[in-house]
Amino acid sequence: MIDADSTHLWMHFWAIATAATVSAGCALVGSFLVVRRLTLLGDAISHAVLPGIVLAVLAGGRPGGAGVFLGAVVAGLVTVWLTNLLGTHAGLAEDAGAGVAFTTLFAIGVVLVSALAARVDIDPGCVLYGILELVPFDTVPILGLEVPRALLAAATVLVVLVIGAVVCWKELVFTAFDPAAARAAGLPVGVISAGLLVATSLATVASFEAVGAILVVAMLAVPAAAAELLVRRFQVMLVVAVGLGVAGSILGYLAAWRFNTNAAGMIAVVLGIEYVVAALVAPGDGIVARVVSRESLRWRVACEDRLASLWRAEEGDAAALAPRTLLGRLAQARLVFWGRIGRGSAGGLTDIGREEARVIVRSHRLWEAWLGRHVALPLDHLHPPAEWIEHHLGAEVRGRIAADLEGHEGDPHGRDIPSEEFPRRAADEPAR
Amino acid sequence: MTMSTTSAGLEFHDVTVAYGRRPVLWNVDLTVPGACLFGIIGPNGAGKSTLLKAALGLVPLAGGEVRILGAPLEQVRGRVGYVPQRESVDWDFPVTVTDVVLMGTYARLGWLRRPGPRERSLAAECLDRVGLADVADRQIGRLSGGQQQRVFLARALAQEADVYFLDEPMAGVDARSQERIFRVLAELRAEGRLVVIVHHDLRSAGDWFDAVALIDMRLVATGPVAEVLTPENLRRTYAGRLDLLDEIGRAVAEGGRTP
Repeated sequence: MIDADSTHLWMHFWAIATAATVSAGCALVGSFLVVRRLTLLGDAISHAVLPGIVLAVLAGGRPGGAGVFLGAVVAGLVTVWLTNLLGTHAGLAEDAGAGVAFTTLFAIGVVLVSALAARVDIDPGCVLYGILELVPFDTVPILGLEVPRALLAAATVLVVLVIGAVVCWKELVFTAFDPAAARAAGLPVGVISAGLLVATSLATVASFEAVGAILVVAMLAVPAAAAELLVRRFQVMLVVAVGLGVAGSILGYLAAWRFNTNAAGMIAVVLGIEYVVAALVAPGDGIVARVVSRESLRWRVACEDRLASLWRAEEGDAAALAPRTLLGRLAQARLVFWGRIGRGSAGGLTDIGREEARVIVRSHRLWEAWLGRHVALPLDHLHPPAEWIEHHLGAEVRGRIAADLEGHEGDPHGRDIPSEEFPRRAADEPAR
Repeated sequence: MTMSTTSAGLEFHDVTVAYGRRPVLWNVDLTVPGACLFGIIGPNGAGKSTLLKAALGLVPLAGGEVRILGAPLEQVRGRVGYVPQRESVDWDFPVTVTDVVLMGTYARLGWLRRPGPRERSLAAECLDRVGLADVADRQIGRLSGGQQQRVFLARALAQEADVYFLDEPMAGVDARSQERIFRVLAELRAEGRLVVIVHHDLRSAGDWFDAVALIDMRLVATGPVAEVLTPENLRRTYAGRLDLLDEIGRAVAEGGRTP
């Protein structure tokens, strides 16, 4: 149900702008957390800031004001400190320590909110799920424009985060990659790490009102993790992560509007979908890329096996049987199409096909000969490994194997190994 | 830059290192001369890496003092290069080989300044020196173990230091990389620099190092290879595990008393 009323459109615009700004800041900080494998700590901080916010509001801070930010940052640092304390003095593993510290702090926050509901203007539901839809109703005037207070806070934090990242770029990256070497080189690793934790607290508290405690974690972790799958350089990863975060916020909000559901929840769902898509299409390690690579190998092997069996038939070993499997028939059709095998029922190897087939059979027999010489394997065990490796030998390694076998003519089964070059005269054959 | 000949390259004065309250390295008193390849050798858990980290200020000293080039570490940080163990970092980190080598120039650049043409050409030179010029733009996760180790060495070279500390640079490294690494280290020595290497393989120690220290929770012996790697010293280092130090260490950690 899209309402054409311009006031309504403005409301939606402000809500989307707030979500996108919040998401950009979270993706920026989240990228550093993800590459440092500290995502869980981001999770912990995002929950643990709650009691800090509640206490700051109790002490008279305005929601979204500087006092509340300070309370949240302190609470975030207390979490980290508690986690370390539990680790070094109670002997808890870091993840268990963080689990204990942040759930306890979060629970204290929830208890405080419920107990002091009358005195504190915080709704426990909002704490968990955010109130993105209500953000446009609490505004401050800026240059004659009624700007949502939450957007102002998020934009301020975003600017601070971007400046911090630019100023400390070298130190942040070196510390993230190799903290010990960075420290040995004299970089202030402790300050940088603490700064990242403060940044996480800031990004979290700026997001709190809009998306709530649970979904902040999605904004911190998911776009950054998706970007890490997609690109190979950290600078690019930051840009992609921010882009994914902003896009997810816009699409998620629009989808929530369309389906009339919770905006923050929908944004997190869209971010999750973005991650799945990234995992599918990631170059190299992506699911699609792996399937394509596996299938194209299977396809190549089928074609090469077909060529080799026709070559052996010509050699007089046995008649080549017609391919029986679907893949075998497809391979046959492809080889005919590309002119490796002649058309018609009698179709044997063409000149090009014979050339390629010879190289495969050569690879096969070279490998059998090499195994026979260097690996203690019974004669009848040589064929299967050669069937496998024949598809993976290149010209250079074939030359090295041939040089290694110098003087040992023929494969272990007594057959000739075809030459690398097109056979002219046997005496012309180069050593490599 | 060459080192002053009046002071030793590296001195440990009665250095004790403890993790928590438990001492893992006891009263090491060791002087390493300048401009040589110096091996720190000992069994697993002997505290070799800990000794290196103590020199670099990466672990706090429970007692004693370290001097590098005759001065406390803080005064000579910029002249010290470090090659950590290869497994100490996450090689899936999204950076290229050149990015990592450039990190060697970061401390010298200071805040806000980015690596410029001078740093880039220095990085290319260092990569060439370790034989990795052709993989300069590759993501580090796609290198072999030996190549990764050489990337670390190139990063240390980019620091243009006078004293180098290397932690197990030959561990899990192919023969070709080992040879290349060793050749570069020998060049550094020829240029008048000190190279201190933690090493686990006794057999190759004699071929590589000018002098060594045998360590097993305490300094067993130090000096030229031929004098130190004697059957008696090796027995004391490898076979004669001092259960005594272990036992006392545990008692110190627990605040109790040994039986």
